[in-house]
Amino acid sequence: MATSSSTARRKRALMQNLRVLGLAIASLVFLLYVLAPVAWLVSSSLQQEAALTSVPPQWIPKDPHLDNFRVIFSADDQERVTYETRRAADPASGGFIPSTAKNLLPAMGNSFIVSVAVVILNLLVAVPAAYALAKIRFRGRNASVYGILITRVIPDIALVVPFFLFIRNLGLLDTLSSLVITYLAVTVPFSVFILVSYFEQLPDELDKAARVDGCSRLQTMTRVFLPLAAPSLVALSLFAFLTSWNEFLLALMFTQTAASQTLPIIVASFTSDFTISFSFINAAGVLAIIPPVILAIIFQRYIVSGLTAGAVKG
Amino acid sequence: MSKLPFVSRRQFLKSSSAAMLAGGAGLSLPMSARAAETIHFSTWSAAVDLVQSHISAFEAANPDVKISYSNAPWAQYRESSITKFVGGAPMDMLWVSDTWLPEWAEAGWLAPIDQYDALTKYNADTDDFSLQSMMYGGKQYGLTYYNDYIAFLYNAEILEKAGIQAPPATWEEVIEQSKIIKEKGLSDAPLMIGMAQESWLVEFLSTLVFSHGGRLVDDEGNAVMADPQGGAVAAATWLKSAVDAGVLPASCVETGELACLKSFGAGQNAFTMVAKYRLRMLNDPAQSPAAGKIKQALMPKGGANGTNETVGYIRFYGMTPGAQETEERAAAVVKLMEWFGGKANGEYVLQKLLFKDLGLGFATKSLFDDPEIRDGYSAFADVDLVSKQQSLARKKDVIAPWFGEWNDVNGTAWQRVILGQATPEEALKASGETWDKLKKSA
Amino acid sequence: MHAATLPQSGRRKPWLSHDDSSAFILLLPVAAVLFAVAVFPIIYSFYISLFDLKLTRPHRVPFVGLDNYFTVLTDQHFWDAVSRTVMFSVTSVLAISVIALLVALLLNEDFPGRKLLSAVLLIPWAIPYVANALMWKWIYDSNYGALNGILYQLDFIDRYMVWLGDSDKTLMLIANAFVWKEVPLAAILLLVTMKSIPADLYSAAKVDGANGLRRFFHVTLPALKPGFMLVILYESMMAIRHFDLFFILTEGGPADASHVVAWRIYVETFRNLSFGTGAAMSYILAIATLALSYVVIRSLGKRV
Repeated sequence: MATSSSTARRKRALMQNLRVLGLAIASLVFLLYVLAPVAWLVSSSLQQEAALTSVPPQWIPKDPHLDNFRVIFSADDQERVTYETRRAADPASGGFIPSTAKNLLPAMGNSFIVSVAVVILNLLVAVPAAYALAKIRFRGRNASVYGILITRVIPDIALVVPFFLFIRNLGLLDTLSSLVITYLAVTVPFSVFILVSYFEQLPDELDKAARVDGCSRLQTMTRVFLPLAAPSLVALSLFAFLTSWNEFLLALMFTQTAASQTLPIIVASFTSDFTISFSFINAAGVLAIIPPVILAIIFQRYIVSGLTAGAVKG
Repeated sequence: MSKLPFVSRRQFLKSSSAAMLAGGAGLSLPMSARAAETIHFSTWSAAVDLVQSHISAFEAANPDVKISYSNAPWAQYRESSITKFVGGAPMDMLWVSDTWLPEWAEAGWLAPIDQYDALTKYNADTDDFSLQSMMYGGKQYGLTYYNDYIAFLYNAEILEKAGIQAPPATWEEVIEQSKIIKEKGLSDAPLMIGMAQESWLVEFLSTLVFSHGGRLVDDEGNAVMADPQGGAVAAATWLKSAVDAGVLPASCVETGELACLKSFGAGQNAFTMVAKYRLRMLNDPAQSPAAGKIKQALMPKGGANGTNETVGYIRFYGMTPGAQETEERAAAVVKLMEWFGGKANGEYVLQKLLFKDLGLGFATKSLFDDPEIRDGYSAFADVDLVSKQQSLARKKDVIAPWFGEWNDVNGTAWQRVILGQATPEEALKASGETWDKLKKSA
Repeated sequence: MHAATLPQSGRRKPWLSHDDSSAFILLLPVAAVLFAVAVFPIIYSFYISLFDLKLTRPHRVPFVGLDNYFTVLTDQHFWDAVSRTVMFSVTSVLAISVIALLVALLLNEDFPGRKLLSAVLLIPWAIPYVANALMWKWIYDSNYGALNGILYQLDFIDRYMVWLGDSDKTLMLIANAFVWKEVPLAAILLLVTMKSIPADLYSAAKVDGANGLRRFFHVTLPALKPGFMLVILYESMMAIRHFDLFFILTEGGPADASHVVAWRIYVETFRNLSFGTGAAMSYILAIATLALSYVVIRSLGKRV
């Protein structure tokens, strides 16, 4: 009896150790899978061009430097190139920092303006809609929900042709407005969806009580529901911001000059030019990654609840 | 209702959608404003420092004109320019390849320059081939940036180590010599040609076709590439045999001209074909590990009807209709175009610098008498051979308004041959049918 | 679509109830936005698709009826692109589902460091697709890339290989980059579903003497069904429309090895400037995705 219980205990301890070992290995594999590609990109952005083109690669930069980032951040005060100061080499021989490097920071600015505008418009448009869909029993309510969701099923690429002609006819090509307008198509349905799910969780009694107290629909919405919905407002703002910050296809179509090009467009333009220094391209990539990743980690909590809002509760 | 945004601010235009978009315009952020004195000049990302220095000098001499300079990679240049044309982005002067002239002129994206004597006066000093290449429908569309041809290059050191006496005279010999080089372990990929889908591809393909005694399109503009006896099929068959022999890696389909240059310049290949001006860089010790070993040979002949012919091409400065919107603007652009494509302060400053720094050829006849230039050539190339090959350069035969669309299909067709997904006959038939279809619908 | 339903509901009744009208007002902004940026373009797209509109030939735009659709649907290249899109999407969605399930199982365990892993998981989700593409392009680079470097150092290969340039590998390599970026979202969706499985289901299974593996197959997996359906629906929509990676990694090449429908629409529209056929193709793609999502939603049997 005693022996059997000690075997059981030993067995349990063994299982416990196996579990710890399994979890440790799984965590390690997980970290490697997720972080290794990013780490390689960061490492590459800190290496000299010669180290970068060595075979096999240097995994950890032996002689790290921040020159690429310095070029990006000081691009504006570059001296004018004259006959005397020109580099006589063929750009094809490599290590070339493109003249568009100076557009990186303004492009980041453009991305920021567009993203903030999209967030504001999303809030203005999605909040009333979500309130109506969640708290008012009206004809065509279900159809409305489906209608809104269906617009998200249509692929962006299928909208590109009419968008382009439309934006061109309105004379809005190469403006940030064209991006703000079209990004609404991409973000609004999701924003409404998050908010509806959230509002639906709030008791209907709140609504009734406020109305009995003489609040209009609009007042009920702004005074009662908005404060309560703060977490999901944060979530939808984040999604609208990140979606706009990261969007590529539409920006590729509608922007043509540095006046309106967003960060992804400038970064993508580097990747196709083989003359450009590899380490510089990687630095641009790192720069494009930093802001969204920081945002995501700060607002982790809201992201998970936002992404899963109503999605799984059935 | 009035508290709701968009509803209260709504201006009713033609439809509710237009109203929405107008709402968007209300928050309009930087528009593509175009100040009268700013000239927009765009190029592909070549000779960047030189262009910038020449702009600096121009702005110093013309303080009332500002130049907004931008560049895009050559590989995507046609596409990014077209996006700008179609979208009406500000652009006044730009580099153009001879291949795109019919398409761009037909679409009304380029404007003729015949009415500007300050520009046409240089025609007398321009070689005939280049002048003809800037003409379309009887009108002239620019001044030359540079001209050149595709040259066959080899690494003399590798050939010497392999015990090969003379560079190959035929494409068949290229394969044979490559096999020897590979067997002796001197190179994994003795032959490298940039076959990636980019702007150089048509020039490399045309060179192979011409040197196999063939044409892609005849003088009447009919596709003859699919003719089983013609040079195009022979050229494609040769390409495939080079891949099968293991001397040309199939990865050439993702190797662009620049990647090809990097690998050839690093001494990894024995043979390649690139624009002749790249000799300057390849033989410069500061820029290329294989410097001093790179030599040019006449374009090898291929098959039974082979010739030493190659492709000659030009790139030039073009002007958009937008540049001619106002007299002042046109005057400024004409000044800038002369500064770049003609003389600056009475001299061919840029042409000489382009030659000196990059080895770029020029269309300006009088420059051949310039002693500096004559000396310059001998530093990196065999001048006699350079001019002999130049006399065997032939204009591309696929220059047509539908070039752009056909080029995509054609490039894919040749890549399919290399990858073994189609026979040369099948691939060229597809390419020829596309040509005929596009020609008919034009 | 829903913009049309509102006035209609009003017309059927002689009057609007107070609730109906306030809902109408509150929904007006969203209706206007979605009409302008989604409904209208779809209608306009169909209109354009009836013309032979080529921007290289701006002065002549003949009406051609449904010709563009016949051209597209009888073009073998289009169907090749469709089959590549299907292959890319099916592979990606399968891989995403499996990897996301493993990640969700790991994060469902309680152990120190779980919080850290959850934070790390968000990184691929947050980074822009362009940066993701650039990163993988550099990893796959056949001359200096990390993939070659690591395989070479571990002696799996004796010389550097060509990756994206190999037409047999291209599509799967692009799928890999896509999967890496999409796994986090799928994992989160599965994880939340997992957390909502009632604990008594497990205790009941335990009482029945089911071991860990059996509990996984008999309790966890069936209970995850709604989560999986959501993942499959969302990720297949994402995969079918995906463009960014194709643009940066291969531009449809080598030859046409990664020529998917989204890429084809882009080439037809912005390289060939054939807006008519481009619009026809877009329309076909839009209808196909709508039909697909309808099927998935129906088989899900409830609102997503």
